[in-house]
Amino acid sequence: MISVPYSEADEKTLVTASLEGDKRAFGEIVDRYRKMVARTVKGMLGDSVFAEDIGQEVFINLYYSLKEFRGDSKLSTYIQKIAVNLTLNEIKRRKRFFSLFTQKGNDEMHEFEIADRNNEERNEASEIVNKALMQMDPKFRIILTMRMLQGYSTKETAEILDLPLGTVLSRLSRAQEQLKSILVKL
Amino acid sequence: MNASDIKKLMIGSLNADTEHVEVYRKLEEEGVNYDFSRDFTDKVIDKVFSVSLKINRQVEFFRYMNLTFYRVALTGIAAIVLLIISLYMAEGSFSLNTMLGLGDNSDESFLYLLTGN
Repeated sequence: MISVPYSEADEKTLVTASLEGDKRAFGEIVDRYRKMVARTVKGMLGDSVFAEDIGQEVFINLYYSLKEFRGDSKLSTYIQKIAVNLTLNEIKRRKRFFSLFTQKGNDEMHEFEIADRNNEERNEASEIVNKALMQMDPKFRIILTMRMLQGYSTKETAEILDLPLGTVLSRLSRAQEQLKSILVKL
Repeated sequence: MNASDIKKLMIGSLNADTEHVEVYRKLEEEGVNYDFSRDFTDKVIDKVFSVSLKINRQVEFFRYMNLTFYRVALTGIAAIVLLIISLYMAEGSFSLNTMLGLGDNSDESFLYLLTGN
C-alpha cells in the first residue's frame, strides 16, 4: 500500500509498490499507459483481437522486467520500447506464417490487417488514418506511428527504435513519399 | 477538418524538422482514437498476478523437494555410519570382506554354494 492516492503517485512509487505485489499500483501504471501502447500496437497491427493480446503481453513483459528498470529513462520510453519490439516481432511472425501459404506473402498480410473488426464503426478520419497505416511498409509504418500517433521527435524516435539518427531521417523522407502515394488513392 | 486536411496533417507529421506533439491531439478531435477494451486493465492484472502466483507455487514445490531430498540424504548417511560402526564392533575390522558381509567364508565354500559339490 502506498500513502498517497494511486492516481497521484509518481512513477517510482508505483514501480516499487508493483514490485512488492501491489495490484492497484500496477493497475495504475497500466491505466496511465494503455492508450499510448494501444496507439503503437493498433497503429501497427490494426484494430484486431491480436492487437489486444499483444497489448496485454506488453504489460505482462513490463511487470517481469520492472526489476531491471533503473529509472535512467522515462517509464513511458521503457514501455514504448517493449511495445515496439513485441509489435515488430508479431509482424515478422505473421509474415513468416503467410509466406508458408502464399507466394504473395506481404500483400496477403496487408489484406488481412485491413480487414480488422471495427471498420464499419469508424468515421472518415479514422478510416483514412488506418487504411494508410496498414498499406505502408512496416519499417515506414513504425516511423509514422511514432511521429503521427505518439508525437515523438526524430531523436526520440531513433532512441525508441534503437536506430541511428541518420537512418531515421532517411526513413522519414522515404516514408513520406510512400504515404503520399498511398493517400492519393484513398 | 475534411479528408484533404487530414491527409496534409499526416504527411506533415513526417517532416523531419518539426515537432508533432499536436498532430495526434488534432486527429483525436476528428475521432481518431486508439484504446483497448474496457476490461483491459483487469485482464492484464489477472494474467500478471495469476502467473506470478503459479510461478511462486512452482518455486515453493521445488524448495520443498530440495528440503525433502536433504532430509532423506542425511538420514541415509546416518544409517550408513551406524551400519559401519556396528560392522566394526561385530567384526573388529574394516576389510572389504567385512564390508561386503563375507566374514570368514573361503573360496571353497562359495564354490560349494554355487555348485552344490
